Amino acid sequence: MELEEALRILAAFEREGVKYVLVGSMGMAVLGVIRATRDIAVFVAPDEDNVARLRRALASVFDDPSIDEITSTDLAGDYPAIQYAPPTGDFSIDLLARLGERFRFEELESQEVIVDGISVRVATPRMLYRMKRDTVRPQDKIDASVLRERFDLEDE
Amino acid sequence: MPIRKFHSVEEMTPLPDRRPFDPENLRIAIAWSRATLALRAVKPTPGVRKFRSYEEMKARS
Repeated sequence: MELEEALRILAAFEREGVKYVLVGSMGMAVLGVIRATRDIAVFVAPDEDNVARLRRALASVFDDPSIDEITSTDLAGDYPAIQYAPPTGDFSIDLLARLGERFRFEELESQEVIVDGISVRVATPRMLYRMKRDTVRPQDKIDASVLRERFDLEDE
Repeated sequence: MPIRKFHSVEEMTPLPDRRPFDPENLRIAIAWSRATLALRAVKPTPGVRKFRSYEEMKARS
């Protein structure tokens, strides 16, 4: 993954007005908890208008007709997790519309950070902790533990 | 980042925490990821894949 490529994606999100929140390892990294990753994970609002903005943003970075397969019907319906791997590069973009029954886009707490002049919206420490605590993946449990200790978070 | 040397893994102390929301954090994470991918290149299959849950996505990717 190249920094410039990741920033181009985030800049395209900003330019197209995509409603998104950076989560996952990249979200953790912004919070100062850094580990290597192979994906950029973002929560997105699954409404039709926003998913159209998302497709436009991705299409402005990658010349790839498969981007059209990302639909609001899927994200808001039976497929709330969509993974997009660009034709070039060695990373994927994980698009999430909901996480289990507990987390939906409109309920996320987020904060803005400016990176190289680009506005990046990232989940708050508390939000990331809650999301990672409640998944079954071992790596997420470890991440949750690190966030809890680092930000002195308490269970609710 | 300077090189740090230790006599054993047990001696190794963790890197100092980075300041939250420091714009440099993302840059470091991406540089670190790039180095890791160079050591073990796993190229994902290009295209769009759909999953019924986050857990399913992570289990199958």
